[in-house]
Amino acid sequence: MRPRTVLRIARWETTKGVGGLDRGAVAVVLAAAAFVVAFGVVGLVGGVALEDGIYRVGVDEDSPFHDPVAVDDALAVVEPDPAVVDEGLRPGEGYDLYVESGPERTRLYLVRRDGEPTDKSLAALAAFRESVEAYNERRMRSEDNETAAFPVVVTVEFVERGTDGGADDGGGGPDSDGTGGGGGEGGGGDGQDDDGGLPSTGGGDGGGFGAPSIGAFDLFGTAGTSGSPSAIAPPFPFQSLVLAFLFVLPLNFVIQAYGSSMLSERLDRRGELLLVAPVTPAEIVAGKTLPYAATSLAIAATVVAGLWLIGAGAGPLSVLAVVPLSLLFLALTFLGAMFARSFKELTFVSVTVSTALTTYAFVPAIFTATSPVAFVSPLTVAVRDLTGAGVTPGQFLFATGPPTLVAGVCFLFGLGVYREEDLFTQRPVHLKALDALAGRIRRPRSLALVVALLVPFVFVAELVAVALLFALPVALSIPLVLATVAVIEELAKALPVYAGFVNGRYERTAGVGAAAGAAAGVGFFLAEKLSLLVQVVGLPDVAVADAAFQTGLGSNSLAAVAVLAVAPLLLHVATATVSALGASRDRTAFAASLSLATLLHLVYNLAVVSRLV
Amino acid sequence: MSRRAIARRELDSLSREKTIVLAILIQVVIAGFSSVLVADDVVAAAGEVENLRARRFEDRATARDAFDRGRVDAVVHAEARDGRVAVSASVPRSSLRKTVIVVQLRAALTELERAERADRADHLAFDPLPVPPRSDASPYFGFSYVLVVPLLVFLPVFISGAVVVDSLTEEIERGTIELLRVAPVSLAGIVEGKAGLLAALAPLQVLLWVVLLALNDIAVDNVALLVALTAAMAVLAVAAAAALALALPVRQRAQLTYSLGMLTAFAAAAALPEHPATTVALLAIGSATRVTLVHVAGYVVAAVLAAVALRRHVARISPERYG
Repeated sequence: MRPRTVLRIARWETTKGVGGLDRGAVAVVLAAAAFVVAFGVVGLVGGVALEDGIYRVGVDEDSPFHDPVAVDDALAVVEPDPAVVDEGLRPGEGYDLYVESGPERTRLYLVRRDGEPTDKSLAALAAFRESVEAYNERRMRSEDNETAAFPVVVTVEFVERGTDGGADDGGGGPDSDGTGGGGGEGGGGDGQDDDGGLPSTGGGDGGGFGAPSIGAFDLFGTAGTSGSPSAIAPPFPFQSLVLAFLFVLPLNFVIQAYGSSMLSERLDRRGELLLVAPVTPAEIVAGKTLPYAATSLAIAATVVAGLWLIGAGAGPLSVLAVVPLSLLFLALTFLGAMFARSFKELTFVSVTVSTALTTYAFVPAIFTATSPVAFVSPLTVAVRDLTGAGVTPGQFLFATGPPTLVAGVCFLFGLGVYREEDLFTQRPVHLKALDALAGRIRRPRSLALVVALLVPFVFVAELVAVALLFALPVALSIPLVLATVAVIEELAKALPVYAGFVNGRYERTAGVGAAAGAAAGVGFFLAEKLSLLVQVVGLPDVAVADAAFQTGLGSNSLAAVAVLAVAPLLLHVATATVSALGASRDRTAFAASLSLATLLHLVYNLAVVSRLV
Repeated sequence: MSRRAIARRELDSLSREKTIVLAILIQVVIAGFSSVLVADDVVAAAGEVENLRARRFEDRATARDAFDRGRVDAVVHAEARDGRVAVSASVPRSSLRKTVIVVQLRAALTELERAERADRADHLAFDPLPVPPRSDASPYFGFSYVLVVPLLVFLPVFISGAVVVDSLTEEIERGTIELLRVAPVSLAGIVEGKAGLLAALAPLQVLLWVVLLALNDIAVDNVALLVALTAAMAVLAVAAAAALALALPVRQRAQLTYSLGMLTAFAAAAALPEHPATTVALLAIGSATRVTLVHVAGYVVAAVLAAVALRRHVARISPERYG
């Protein structure tokens, strides 16, 4: 690959490529993006009232409970009609909750269906409770006697564990000399000068006394808070949501432009011109991809710089964490553009890629606070970087390595079909996919390599399965994970073999089938040792993950570890041979033998896991 | 007649492209998994609230020591000062569980505050309202209606428009629109046939999701109105998409402008008295007001106007332009 050639193609792509973006289009894109980001920030910080009036509360204007209901966004005041509650509140009357205030006591009516309160009515009650609490709080703030109104003053401080004393480096919070760890009894003059009016914030910058939301941009909760108990704000819990919004959303637009550009090369044989030029396909693809990769990197850097400016502890690590994600978006879109037969097909593929990858980035990151499973997603590295928690090199490798490998493999397979006979012909997607696999097969031995190339896919797919299923009860999640693993692994071994037979790389005889199957099994076994990476983040502590990857290290028996080193080799060779024998005949035989192989694999998994877990 | 022929041809080509199954599958996963995720969050949240366990330490130094060793998650110190209870709490900064810890501390301290306030009631002008009982409602009940249902309404609408952009730009870029024109069809007929079919597909998908959600124990109210709203939104989206594709007959530009435009329109809709997503949520949860109904009627009127405007616009375009 010659850098100058790649750069020249990249320049063509940005300046005069088919349908490339002109200056006007870039201006429109920037304006729209700025508008959306502005609205997004306002929406996230100000809280767009999506739940505007979803619960209807019947409450009289004279009732003391009228005001709390009236100011709550989620609650809508409905004029009460005493007739409806004569025999209890029934559905369809136009109320979800009915407040009947008497001089002595207040009665609440829930909507009942068949004697049981409805879910909606219970949810309305919970919302009502919260709004009354908030209302009391606001009234208390206007009391003259502040000591009686706010008898409890709380100062919350975020301190580093293990650092002696309250020396917390610049994270805000009250100026503390004793709060953290000083030994003395009353040693805590914590900057809270009490006779000076409201029990408001200490000296720190993050004190939120007022709206129960955190100070404007402290999304990542690094500053301390103080005030009355209800005013101390928990750190914003949905960092991954914000990050998914900020980092992943722009990627969707980048891949849209990229996919269109790649696919339009294939219309009317436009790509022919480059193919006959003295450049290699790899140079063409690299050159055409470079501008889009650079754009996504620039966007990630801008987002991180923006977060840094508003005070989050973001750094280069966050940008590095997003790189594998953008490569994955680009790689899958490239593959999609190579396979798609029409623009519509490309749209379906890119919607799927967007949703699947957003899920992959977002769902594991939800568990950032609670489980090592979170490291399945590279986004977790960014979350931890932004919260100042940091990551070990091992964790970084674990989170970013597999997606980078998958992206590389996708580009490799896509390159396999970047040639005249595939670019300009209309073949169904699945045949193109087989072509891409077969493109790397030359002799039986190379099959081991192709299968090995698929292992990163298998690894990521299994990790995502673990992340999606680990929250279920173990009795349910382990069998489900084992079944998923069996299906994924058998497919990874059998599909290249099948591709080899379909594309006439092998003779259709049982002997060749057995040899190919054995090669596939060995290749898979060797590459699978990569899964030992799960050790790095201590994932085996999660029972489900141990079941999926069977490192055997969850148990203490040396024999078990030894058996687990050899048994998988036998298993993979055996099952791959079974499916390869089917593949050497025809499609029906292949489907049947693949099912049989999967079943064998599942039985083996169940047997091993029931021994160990 | 010819319009119907175009629509049938479009449906035929859509069904041959089996990848549409992928797009549908994604939506099924959203409909299915949302309930699983919500259920787990509830379990986690309920478990966490009751997990606060207090340990008493002799002095601050031992407490801090236990904190540093990770035996306790937070240190709380309380003392009487100027007639108040001053509480200082230390929470680990780098622990990502700090949100959970702070929420638990807050719940416990709020109880303390309530008790202390009751003791000082004589000095207060306002008697705090009695707090209604805690209900065992799922805190995520609203989530399905406020997020999932709007997502399942707007995703098909968005995809329909995107497919119209693809379908028209592809005919133009490949030059196949020329072939269609030798058939007895006008350009308006071609555009209307394609756009009409995709506008009809969106409400059909929404109907399907309503059934799926019902199987998931999420009952959706006002189905007819919801379908009407989806149809109106879909007509608006495909009309905009068709006009865009005819104005910018290059897929890359048209598609990028379409999706950014949709995003912008969605954000700008916040200026309406009721955001479309809120309208969907209110209809689905069964709390629609007159304002909601007026919005739905408004969208239907806007959809009719958009369809008429598109027809007039296309009638004025010379088909030679794309030859």
